[in-house]
Amino acid sequence: MAMDRNRLTFAAVVVGGLLTTVAFVLAFFVAAPVLANNTLTAGGGALIGGKLITNPVLFSQKIFFFHVPVAITSFVIFFFTAFYGVRFLMTKDKRFDTKARIATEITLVFVALTMITGDIWTRYEWGTWWVWEPRLTTYFIMMMLVIVYFVLRASIEDEERRAVYASAFGILAFLDAPLSFAITRIVPSGAHPVVLRAGGGLDAVQLGGFLIGLAGMLCFGYAIYQLRIREETAKERLEVLKASLEG
Amino acid sequence: MDPVLKEIYSLVLPAAPYVLAAYGILWIGLFGYVTVVLRRLGKIEAELRIVEEALARRA
Amino acid sequence: MAETATAAPKRSSSWRQFKAILRKDIVMELRTKEMLSSMTLYTLLTLVIYQIALSQSGSGFDIRLIAAGLVWLAFVFTSMLGLNRSLVHEKDQGCLEALLLAPVDRPVIFFAKAVGNLIFLLIVEVVTVPIFAVAFMSGRPIAGPFWMLVLSAFVGSLGIAGVGTFLATMAVNARGGSFILSVLFIPLMYPALLAAVAGSSAVVLGGEGYAATFWQAVGMGAGIDAIMLLAVFALYEFVVGA
Repeated sequence: MAMDRNRLTFAAVVVGGLLTTVAFVLAFFVAAPVLANNTLTAGGGALIGGKLITNPVLFSQKIFFFHVPVAITSFVIFFFTAFYGVRFLMTKDKRFDTKARIATEITLVFVALTMITGDIWTRYEWGTWWVWEPRLTTYFIMMMLVIVYFVLRASIEDEERRAVYASAFGILAFLDAPLSFAITRIVPSGAHPVVLRAGGGLDAVQLGGFLIGLAGMLCFGYAIYQLRIREETAKERLEVLKASLEG
Repeated sequence: MDPVLKEIYSLVLPAAPYVLAAYGILWIGLFGYVTVVLRRLGKIEAELRIVEEALARRA
Repeated sequence: MAETATAAPKRSSSWRQFKAILRKDIVMELRTKEMLSSMTLYTLLTLVIYQIALSQSGSGFDIRLIAAGLVWLAFVFTSMLGLNRSLVHEKDQGCLEALLLAPVDRPVIFFAKAVGNLIFLLIVEVVTVPIFAVAFMSGRPIAGPFWMLVLSAFVGSLGIAGVGTFLATMAVNARGGSFILSVLFIPLMYPALLAAVAGSSAVVLGGEGYAATFWQAVGMGAGIDAIMLLAVFALYEFVVGA
């Protein structure tokens, strides 16, 4: 069973690496460049790859192919914080609390990566490092919730109580994240582009590259999660064995 | 360079460092995290083996 | 027939329990006046801080642009103080343990504590708003009718009291209680507070279609309250016994 799990983790790393590499090639070398709205002042256009291009090419759009998969992965993993939180409260099985904690930790890694990649893009595209724009604000709130989850854990000594509180807060935090997204939609000022929608302007290659990148990122998320679980299990076993060695 | 082509690529050159930096930081961050985890895991599993052997010898 | 006969006294008994806990909180408060006085004093000092913050803004600055936000900020700070106190009291005097030992349903405890906190918060708000109006609005009228302001204050306070009571229950059992409460409270309450400020602000500022903005914000706030209160209500049973 454990061996199978390890092999699956390894497979996830390989597949994740493969898919993200394919996505990289598709995004940067195959996918059609997205064009800026303004037309050329020099007039006319040029044939690039057999196609007449009459607008400047928007290279900054390439961030879409990795920033968005990482962001979606962070949400998917955050879901497991709440899921294992519910499982823990139902069963009071300590393992579920560990799983929820690991899921939150990996959520934080992906959230941080989303923040950093997004911010660098923001610096170029909007000219500032930070804007209190709905999508950014709510994602920032989500990051705070994830950080606070660990602050809460650190402040409780009793193990059982820590697990219960963390589970409850994890569930609330996951409920709160979509609410934050929804509430800022009623305050209309969205500078953040919404590409994934009907009429978002993606062609098949672009969408394919994105989806492959997303699948790869999810594989990585799964693999990292399993690695951390393996580490925690080994750590717990070590504690037990050490105690029996001494006692 | 052809002026038309130059203008077509005018948004590529200034954006490239930012996009590539973002891409680089993403992978450095991810690999850095995985490396740290793997190292810790290796250490713990090595220690676990030693303790297991010690226990087996004692038994 | 038999069913209704057995169901009726049971419901009235948890209603009685609810009233008993709530009355206990109110009587204790009336006797000591500790929470209301400290919360009100804290809000007044917050207003002093606002004066400092706005002291260089000049006479041309229209306070109405941020009035709703400032008032909600004062409510948030004072409610964190009050929430923390209301549960620290219970814990210090062993009340909570006694309550948990008593045959009282956990949800009843939650509702009683939350309603008590809501009442105290509303009283503080009733005191604060006129003082704020006199001190900062300097005769500028609010654009919308007053009852709209009351409604949005109520919807916002409901969420603050409900979720806050839940979080305070956790915070009293954590190291650095009041710090933990504020750290949990602020990000979790973000959507509810944003809705509350949007609603109140629409009433204060008025302008084209302010009523639509107001109802949208209040509706959103009520929806968030409903979701969060349901979740908190379901989770309270686990948290209070742990």
